[in-house]
Amino acid sequence: MSETYARGGRESTGAGGFIIVAASLLAALLVLAGVIYALGTPARHRAALAQGGCEPSLSPAGVQCTTAQMLTKQYLAVMIPARQQLAADIAAYRTNQRGDLAAAQSALMAEVTSERAFDTSLAHITLPPAIAAIARALIRANEARATLTAKQAGSTSLTQLRSFNRRVDVASAAVQKEMKLIRTALASPAQAG
Amino acid sequence: MARTPVGRRAGHGPAADYYQPAPYDDGPAGYEPGPYPDVAVAPRPVKEPPSEPLKADRSRLDEWMEVTFKFGGSKIKRKAVALVILGAPALIPLFLMMPAYLTVNQNTISVSVDDTLGTGAALCLFACLLVTPMVTITGQRWFVPLRRWYGIMMGCCALGDAISAGITDNFAGGVFGRLAGHVFELMGLMMAGLVVPLLLTGNPWAQRKLGKYWKRLHSLIYVIWALLGAHLILLEGFGFQQGGTDNGSGFPGDGDPVFHQRLYQYGACSLFLLTLRLPPVKRWIVARQREGRNWLVYVTVAPLFVLFVFGFTFLVNEEFFKGIDSFTENPSSE
Repeated sequence: MSETYARGGRESTGAGGFIIVAASLLAALLVLAGVIYALGTPARHRAALAQGGCEPSLSPAGVQCTTAQMLTKQYLAVMIPARQQLAADIAAYRTNQRGDLAAAQSALMAEVTSERAFDTSLAHITLPPAIAAIARALIRANEARATLTAKQAGSTSLTQLRSFNRRVDVASAAVQKEMKLIRTALASPAQAG
Repeated sequence: MARTPVGRRAGHGPAADYYQPAPYDDGPAGYEPGPYPDVAVAPRPVKEPPSEPLKADRSRLDEWMEVTFKFGGSKIKRKAVALVILGAPALIPLFLMMPAYLTVNQNTISVSVDDTLGTGAALCLFACLLVTPMVTITGQRWFVPLRRWYGIMMGCCALGDAISAGITDNFAGGVFGRLAGHVFELMGLMMAGLVVPLLLTGNPWAQRKLGKYWKRLHSLIYVIWALLGAHLILLEGFGFQQGGTDNGSGFPGDGDPVFHQRLYQYGACSLFLLTLRLPPVKRWIVARQREGRNWLVYVTVAPLFVLFVFGFTFLVNEEFFKGIDSFTENPSSE
């Protein structure tokens, strides 16, 4: 009697056994497939980097995938507003350099503020070593220009004020040169200019 | 003569009760209204009665968890500490979104709330659904209260996601368009709608008041589970990222788009949770445990569990990848 019951019990769990073994085998196959797939990760990673415009040489340490486009975007996000602000400050200076000392000085101090804000923002971008070196040079050149502009703003006459113009132009050229270098390194699109 | 199923000894309840929580025994047994394994009431017995050493072995950890220790002048159960440690991670999705909410950063909320709170809700749902299979396999009960906690956190994440998306998403059509303008969004909205009654009745008072209907009501968790599958099918599709461009599902660039496909993650987690809920499977497990061959259960279930952990790990990865960006308010739209 009890054997009959036991046989019935085994039969009643047979379906469950089949289901769990089938599911388990499926899971084992999927895990195995996953492991095999994972072994190909490095090769796929390199291919994905290349196809996505990712340049491993541009990837800063700790950043998994930084494309040239991503770096350019970050750079432009800093550079474009700074450039617009600086253009407005320079226009204000040019308007007042021959007639209103106070307004010209104010415009120059605004230039200094804009330049230093740009330096600070640029320093916060994580760049690959080669571009970081250019960025540091750009920051130094910009800081030199800002220092000169601050001295210019301390002039006591319009003549003295204008006498700085040539030196400031030279400093600006140095800044432009570094900016051109960084844009080339990033292979930035036309709007960067 | 009373019909006593063979194999059930006097003074012992149905064998399956040991593995499956009774519906109202400890309050927090909510969110798991699955039927008892048929073996609990089936007249067909197995040959051997439950072996005493097996049962003693199963209850040993439960007993150990009940032991109190002194901390800061008060007595605390080991179980309480373990539950806090295991339950605390469920707060992480909301914690990661908190800076964006506190600063009302609409950009961060709009871009990443779906990923941070949506993935958080999925993680909490799977954690909630994991409790019963673990009871079935291990026979331990001390972690059953986590089921309610994870269920509540799943509800909070799902509602937070729905409310935030309704306010900040860019879809046309006003609030309704943002919540139900696409079919996958409609699925999400239905899930959020179904979560509400579960949240409202997920307490001992409601459990008492609703009586037998409480369990039926909380069967909605299975509907939510299925809707999550439909939501992901519509959102992610069955395919995965090809190449390095963003032309499909799965994060491009790290070389593992298949692992980042959320529908696959859902499938990997669900296979284990679903299989262990099937009544024939539960009967089979109970029978093996009665025979004292629990090792066979562990061996058989191991690949399913490994697959579950695999899927769950990548969901956690997704949560932190997007969540940390949300926390720093520099949202990732990947």
